[in-house]
Amino acid sequence: MSFEELPHTADVKIRARARTLNELFSEAFLALMQVMYGTDRKAKVKREILIDAADPESLLCDFLSEVLFISEVDSMVFSGATISIDGSHLSAVLEGESFDPARHAGGTEVKGISYSGLSITWDANGYILDILFDV
Amino acid sequence: MIDGVLRTGENEWEVPVGYVPGMRVPGRFYLSESLGNTLEQGAVQQLANVATLPGIIKNSLAMPDIHWGYGFPIGGVAAFSREGGIVSPGGVGFDINCGVRLLTTPLAEKDVAGRRDLIDTLYRTVPTGVGAKSAHSLSPQAVDSMMIKGARWAVDAGYGVYRDLERCEESGFMKQADIRAVSAKAKQRGVPQGGTLGSGNHFLEVQVVREIYDPAAAAAFGISAGQVCVMIHCGSRGLGHQTCTDHLKILEGATKKYKITLPDRQLACAPITSPEGQAYFGAMAASANYAWANRQMIMHATRNVLAKMFSLEYDDMALVYDVAHNVAKMEEHTVEGKRETVCVHRKGATRAFGPGSIDLPGDLTSIGQPVIIPGSMGTSSYILKGTQTAMDKTFGSTCHGSGRVMSRTQAKKKMSGKEVAAKLLKEGIIVKAPSDNVIADESPEVYKPSDEVVQVVHDVGISRLVARLAPIGVIKG
Repeated sequence: MSFEELPHTADVKIRARARTLNELFSEAFLALMQVMYGTDRKAKVKREILIDAADPESLLCDFLSEVLFISEVDSMVFSGATISIDGSHLSAVLEGESFDPARHAGGTEVKGISYSGLSITWDANGYILDILFDV
Repeated sequence: MIDGVLRTGENEWEVPVGYVPGMRVPGRFYLSESLGNTLEQGAVQQLANVATLPGIIKNSLAMPDIHWGYGFPIGGVAAFSREGGIVSPGGVGFDINCGVRLLTTPLAEKDVAGRRDLIDTLYRTVPTGVGAKSAHSLSPQAVDSMMIKGARWAVDAGYGVYRDLERCEESGFMKQADIRAVSAKAKQRGVPQGGTLGSGNHFLEVQVVREIYDPAAAAAFGISAGQVCVMIHCGSRGLGHQTCTDHLKILEGATKKYKITLPDRQLACAPITSPEGQAYFGAMAASANYAWANRQMIMHATRNVLAKMFSLEYDDMALVYDVAHNVAKMEEHTVEGKRETVCVHRKGATRAFGPGSIDLPGDLTSIGQPVIIPGSMGTSSYILKGTQTAMDKTFGSTCHGSGRVMSRTQAKKKMSGKEVAAKLLKEGIIVKAPSDNVIADESPEVYKPSDEVVQVVHDVGISRLVARLAPIGVIKG
């Protein structure tokens, strides 16, 4: 399981790898939080998210968009997620803490999760995700 | 130049039909030879993708700040027929009505040069960066009013003067705003963010007018050499981002319903006249209005800081103009010799209406619309004027900025934020940001040289140079 930022002139392009789809979504989620709030994020409280969507790409976009929404309106910074995907249904338990300007203000706001360039593929080592965050 | 792209004139290039399957019209972009090596294949592909959309008129266009985005390329412009044409959030972006305005002051450079206290006070006054909350306590009803009335709501609430409204594109509000089409989630995000700058490339800059190229236009715009101005660049914040996210999902379904074939899911769209298209347009207009009110509130806070610190009269700080650069509008243009109302999408492009346009304030009708092109932290910003050539070639549009050429990952490897800030300070530019990371991300070298970009639009004639402003103090979100 890992993610890395790939060169992209305008936005933030992430490539993630994982053995399972659940872990792949978790990596995308961690990448999103790292871009926005940096690496100093603690697990103090839990939040649950439920999403339904027609295909894995939509499920991922909707999930990450919901994370953006909750993070902004509830001033939450998340550090981890336990994700379970069953067909078109996703349930996630997020762990995080309240936004702390001293530790979390150094990142970049993500405006949206783009479908452009979004791909979920797999090879012998597992799943590969490319995804673009608009910043 | 990229394979398959044809040169059609000085600074003019064509992407022929067939570059991607399903193109209805050719793509056309404006770029100098020297900027040609900054062009990404992905951006050309996106320009060609737009040309496949139903109802597109004449060309899929891009300005010289063209670069690889999502959906439309950044710098993209396309107009669609009201009958048979589409509207797409991919042609506007997540940051609906991201835009820029320029405020003049009666101050000279000697009054503000080296005044770190000015930059510090502005930074404390205008909430900036990730997680920053509004200094105003807005009610949900106030957010509704912002979305309906735009900048006028802000002026009615005491954040400005009525003359400011004459100096905004669309007078600071789009009448098609439909707040019923804006989700509860989007409204919720709008409540704590009125008057906040945001992050990324958003900024508030103290600048000095260094050069005047067109004295008559500069005088009409209220700009003079040596004058201190403030430029504000931001958008519709979380409310606009959520509106785009919500309607992309709705329009994905509409794309299937209306049997529209797309080369990119981010170009999800619907016929302009369809219920889904109308809902997006109404929600997008409401978000655009929120952005105009937001910039008006930030300008008001800036005026108060300047008034107090330099004993200025509020009314001595006039707004030059406010332009949107991520928006879709119903506008009247000449199509095949006939006046027609069309839906113009500008995604990282600026309206540049020429002389005689009824949309301009009376005293600017003979000059053309003020066009504001922000630079980057170390490079100049420019004021231009709209032209008839823009009306003829680009649906009254020009570039919006300099356009990135370097990714954030490369930028961070190349230089630290501290090094960039120290280098800029030597040049007389004070930079303030929530973190060094932000400064490294947005250092001057990551952008195309702004002077080359505006020179292209000037030479092509889709707007003409009026003045150059250089930064002396920068607040980055």
